[in-house]
Amino acid sequence: MDFTSLIAVFLGVVLVNNFVFAQFLGICPFLGVSKNVSMAFGMGCAVTFVMTISGVVTWVIVHLILTPLGSRFLGNPESLYFLKYVIFIMVIASMVQLVEMYLKKFFPSLYTAFGVFLPLITTNCAILGACLLIDMNEVYQSSLVKSAVFAFGGGVGFAMAITIMAGIREHMRFSDVPKALRGAGITLLTACILALAFQGFAGIGK
Amino acid sequence: MSVVLTAALVLFAITLVFAALLGVAKEKLRVHEDPRIGQVNEVLPAANCGGCGFAGCADFAQAVVEERAPCDGCTVGGPDVAAAVARVLGREVVQTFPYRPVIHCRAHTGDKLGVVAYDGVHSCVEANAVGVTQGCTYGCLGFGDCVRACNYDAIHMVDGLPEIDYVKCTGCGACVRACPRNIIESIPFKQEQMLVVACSNKEPGKNVRQVCKVGCIGCKACQRVLAQLFEVRDNLAYINYDNYTGEEDLKAAAGKCPVKSIVYFGKPQPEYAAMLKEEDTAVTQV
Repeated sequence: MDFTSLIAVFLGVVLVNNFVFAQFLGICPFLGVSKNVSMAFGMGCAVTFVMTISGVVTWVIVHLILTPLGSRFLGNPESLYFLKYVIFIMVIASMVQLVEMYLKKFFPSLYTAFGVFLPLITTNCAILGACLLIDMNEVYQSSLVKSAVFAFGGGVGFAMAITIMAGIREHMRFSDVPKALRGAGITLLTACILALAFQGFAGIGK
Repeated sequence: MSVVLTAALVLFAITLVFAALLGVAKEKLRVHEDPRIGQVNEVLPAANCGGCGFAGCADFAQAVVEERAPCDGCTVGGPDVAAAVARVLGREVVQTFPYRPVIHCRAHTGDKLGVVAYDGVHSCVEANAVGVTQGCTYGCLGFGDCVRACNYDAIHMVDGLPEIDYVKCTGCGACVRACPRNIIESIPFKQEQMLVVACSNKEPGKNVRQVCKVGCIGCKACQRVLAQLFEVRDNLAYINYDNYTGEEDLKAAAGKCPVKSIVYFGKPQPEYAAMLKEEDTAVTQV
């Protein structure tokens, strides 16, 4: 495994297959917590943390616990794979709890700023999506390091997307938006144009 | 071994590991929090409007418990919430009044003089920065930043001047902060209707006359009638709301104003409200 392929994985998930703009995962916090840059960046960091840890831990559980146990006791390595979804959700929820406690202790202002959105990371589909994508793709099945880079890149891509969005929305406060589009309307349109712009990365690497 | 049994055991073991991890983390990362903060937070209206000057209801609750804020600091909740907060904390609560915004300007479109054609961004902040949209450099610009700031649909532009709907207004102060000219002020509403000096112009009377038909000219007529309540500073009358009692001689003092700059703000009087209602029904009948 060479270093270049890791960079390719990282850039691929940050720019080309960005979770928000190309795969349309994690839209809820992307629209909900993107009102100011510092909060959006904090949210992005929290998601990156949870996603990286969850990606690694779920890979370890699937390949070092479920597969050997299945093949040893049940004769088929895939016989315990139906537990994946339950375990993925549990891992993510535990990690979110951990992040919540950590933030409450060391960054109370960020903790109050997140409010309900922090526990909602649990149900952020981008994180479960990252775990499942790692699990489905043969490239990541074979390599823990690549999976970790993929999960971390997914988080960085999400953080980048939400921070860009928050920057645009901060500027939008001073623009004369047509009355019918104010609020959710113009936000969705902005997200749409951003997603279109990111489609431009789709040609990279071919 | 059967699939079900293995699955149950595996799941149990993994859950146990994570439970242990969280348990340890909870001990290591414990934060001591005053239980009263949560109790105070529960009786607050949870509007998170920031009208109290804190980041939100939870922040205000913490400040109250730590005695950095008064029990009656919540403008939205008013006396009921103040009493509830005081009960939770076992403190005495003094009589409080709801704070509501009033507008220190009453110049409608026709009253403003020296109005210049303005083609820029329709926002008070922008127009204020340009500074030459109208003669009066103190008065309302009429582009409605306050209307856009309101989360409760309680302020509307009527003929170039915002009008507050005191039935819907919660006193959160968003409009007060939005106004770039600081014309809107939160005052304690000791009665349903409060007298307000509806002008902010500090220029001498002659200059005010040149830019506005209804501005305060600093003639001190009100001060001569009720000196403990009215004070004219910098060519502008102010009302001292600490001494405000709402007695009849107030009306007399207000009536002395030659430009009718001292006006009542507040919920419409009962008879007026009834009249409005009749109008409404009349319209629906048509």
